[in-house]
Amino acid sequence: MSDSVSWPDSPEGGEIGDGKFARATHRPESVEDLCRIVAEASAAGLAVYPRGGGTARDYGGVPRRPGVLVDVRSLDRVIDYPHADMTITVQAGILMSTLKGILAEHNQRLLVDAPEADRATLGGVFATNTSGPRRFGAGRPRDQIIGVEFVTADGKVVKGGGRVVKNVAGYDFPKLLTGSMGTLGILTQLTLKVRPAPETSAVVWAVTPSIVRILKALDGLNLSESRPMAIEFLNASAARMIGEPLGLPASAKDLVLAIGIEDNRESVRWQIERLKDELKEFDVSVREGDASGPVWSGLTEFQAYRPGSTTITANLPPSKVGDIVGDLDPDRWAVQAHAGNGIVRAHLLADSDLESVAKEVDALRAEAVGRGGNLTVTRCQTEWKSRLKVWGEPRPDWRIAEGIRDTLDPRGVLNPGRFVGTI
Amino acid sequence: MNATVPQTNPISISRIVSDLIAAVGEENVLANREEMLVYECDGYVIEKNIPDVVVFPTSTEQLVAVVKLCNKHNVPFVPRGAGTSLAGGTLAVGGGIMICLTRMKRILEINLRDRYAIVEPGVVNVWLTRALSGTGFHYAPDPSSQSACTIGGNVATNSGGPHTLKYGVTVNHVRGVELVLPDGSITMIGGITEDNPGYDLPGLVVGNEGTFGIASKVIVNLTRDPEAGRTFLGVFDTVEAATETVSGIIGAGIVPAALEMLDNLMIRAVEQAFNFGFPTEAGAVLIIEVDGVEAGLDREAEAITKIVQERGGTVQRSIGWRTRKEPEYVAIWKSRKSAFGAIGRLSPTFCTQDGVVPRTKLPHILRFITEVGQRHGIRIANVFHAGDGNIHPILMFDERDPEQVKRVLQASHEILDECINQGGSVTGEHGIGVEKMEFMPKLFTENDLAAMVAIRNVFNPLGRCSPSKLLPMGSACIERKSPGHRASA
Repeated sequence: MSDSVSWPDSPEGGEIGDGKFARATHRPESVEDLCRIVAEASAAGLAVYPRGGGTARDYGGVPRRPGVLVDVRSLDRVIDYPHADMTITVQAGILMSTLKGILAEHNQRLLVDAPEADRATLGGVFATNTSGPRRFGAGRPRDQIIGVEFVTADGKVVKGGGRVVKNVAGYDFPKLLTGSMGTLGILTQLTLKVRPAPETSAVVWAVTPSIVRILKALDGLNLSESRPMAIEFLNASAARMIGEPLGLPASAKDLVLAIGIEDNRESVRWQIERLKDELKEFDVSVREGDASGPVWSGLTEFQAYRPGSTTITANLPPSKVGDIVGDLDPDRWAVQAHAGNGIVRAHLLADSDLESVAKEVDALRAEAVGRGGNLTVTRCQTEWKSRLKVWGEPRPDWRIAEGIRDTLDPRGVLNPGRFVGTI
Repeated sequence: MNATVPQTNPISISRIVSDLIAAVGEENVLANREEMLVYECDGYVIEKNIPDVVVFPTSTEQLVAVVKLCNKHNVPFVPRGAGTSLAGGTLAVGGGIMICLTRMKRILEINLRDRYAIVEPGVVNVWLTRALSGTGFHYAPDPSSQSACTIGGNVATNSGGPHTLKYGVTVNHVRGVELVLPDGSITMIGGITEDNPGYDLPGLVVGNEGTFGIASKVIVNLTRDPEAGRTFLGVFDTVEAATETVSGIIGAGIVPAALEMLDNLMIRAVEQAFNFGFPTEAGAVLIIEVDGVEAGLDREAEAITKIVQERGGTVQRSIGWRTRKEPEYVAIWKSRKSAFGAIGRLSPTFCTQDGVVPRTKLPHILRFITEVGQRHGIRIANVFHAGDGNIHPILMFDERDPEQVKRVLQASHEILDECINQGGSVTGEHGIGVEKMEFMPKLFTENDLAAMVAIRNVFNPLGRCSPSKLLPMGSACIERKSPGHRASA
């Protein structure tokens, strides 16, 4: 049935991404509206591509069949914010920056770092499993979500979890939907754990030309007397991109460890002193209190920088981070590692040809997989996607993932082509 | 939909037994009814059924062989760990083969640098804690039954414990699961890295209550020990003042590592059993624990003391600690975690509930519980994870008196219904099992439940593994006659 529907060749209906245009863009004003739109599109043999702020528009595989865009940004209400319970229930279309402001009124925050917060929606951040530096101390997005509501491919509302912080009734749909790339349902509402904002914070910026020293320090930080919220490792290019605008020392050949701490003043002061001692072979600068804010922002926004055509993300055991970072030429790649979590993000700095990039990606991927990890291509030009294998080689559990997708969305209505395997 | 659960007959059983013995050895098979009596139920004792056979695989290969035999003979099977579960999750509904994982008990790997451990499902929770002693790391989920319960069972039920308030429940600490699917195939779900392309299947699999298959390996997070901590004993004249203090602490933006409450009945039982020094005349006590770095704890301690005092309480003990091995620290937590055992001194039989309310609704739900107890003439003790809003009212009764039993069931239902009315849940950490299936339609819509059934069928299309659990549709109906006793939470 989808064969009879063709891709429009003009952008009038909206841009899905990867050069594909939508037949129309709908902006539902209510969940009921959304259900109707999905059911109608599905009945007409069209795919449905959910969209928030469009910050991840080209993320994932290439859209597989023609369809409509659904802009969820009008679903942006706060449903319930019992701040004394440290939970909030909000609709998925709310902007991250708006949510941040609402939580700040009660001196609270959501422990998920997302770049481009004034464009990114909460639903988009959770659908793409976006995270940043604080994940080391605070956990992943899936650790913050306790309830979810979504619209399935047949236009029905399904929910899972609840509104209390501890709840084991039923299967954990909040986690299943987090990182599902909009392929199991369109997120309409999330219930989240929130936390008190810390009294103060600091970033210890430690510079050295020696990778050996970095690796030794990372091993040491695993047992640091301090309790960091973030452990970041930047190659020279990334250190300059993040550090230079903030007046932090960074040069063409230096590597940087940026250690984030958050707590009350006495604790943060003590931890800074401990870190200075533990990192005494480094050239250390400290940004404390309000001055640390821009450094945290720089460390969060880096993943959204687009200096060249391609961005890759490797997930590794933390002890192997140095191997991959060491293999990436700093004149060609800007690299940030959330080193405590084993996540390496690398942006290609200049334009390059497919074969050179493919060779590098293949080699790095083999290395990552060989060390028990994986490597995904988070951004590249559309024509490169099949060659670079956006999601890598099939994993053993994709068969189950495909089974789940097939049972919830047998006709492949939601975001077809974007995610792993046949999903 | 669930296929009809096949029933076993004596002839087929003897064939199965000989096949099982061939697969795992005679020493790992029980088929004698007397020997299997202990396997008729778990910590939830209302509903009982002796399985046809109990088998104890000692390796993944044996586990796979057993599952394949169950398929070959078309019999249902149910996994079991230590049997500490409180909702009948390991009940052999309709008989069949019980696969007991307690002989798959090796810790396969501990990797401190990459902060994970790989364990077999029969590893007892506290064994991992002990194996990590002195390393600077620990495994965070610490259910009260941790000296008996297995990590495989923790994964099945998504277990909690007192320290989940700050550190999260089991699902927050599982990176990967090697799952033997109900057809006997093995799939590695997740891995040693946190993020892997694909859905968060470890997140989905934790808490499946055995309905997706059987975990043969679990990859868990290791958590860095806190640099220091303080544990306080707050003493109050009334339950009301204690619950108001809980709301006050959370509302003030303090995230304690643990925040536990015991009411007067519980205090007296625990004090009789352990002589920790709890004030037996107090209306309620709170165990309040904060951790972090020592330099920052004084101010948190002051803030907590002030909140306790403002609500009319006093801080009677303050235990400063650098490791969780200090004697006074060990003593206070031993008292708390053994509270359910102490209840045996007050009543021969009791029934523990596991409701959850938003934490600010604690004063309300505790008043409600008192009122329900009075109305039905039932003594109710309370010991629970107050900081999470996870209540464990313990209803005491004499199981020989059917009239009392009826009242206890009625009271339990009223309490759980009120948790739902307050925006909460009927289970915070014990699971749905067979006990709470009837509440699922009160928590979830038909669409929600249909989606859950559809996903269960992806893993377990024939419904052969753990039939009649968790999801109400297609489940066998067992008449409920009496509430349970013996439990730890």
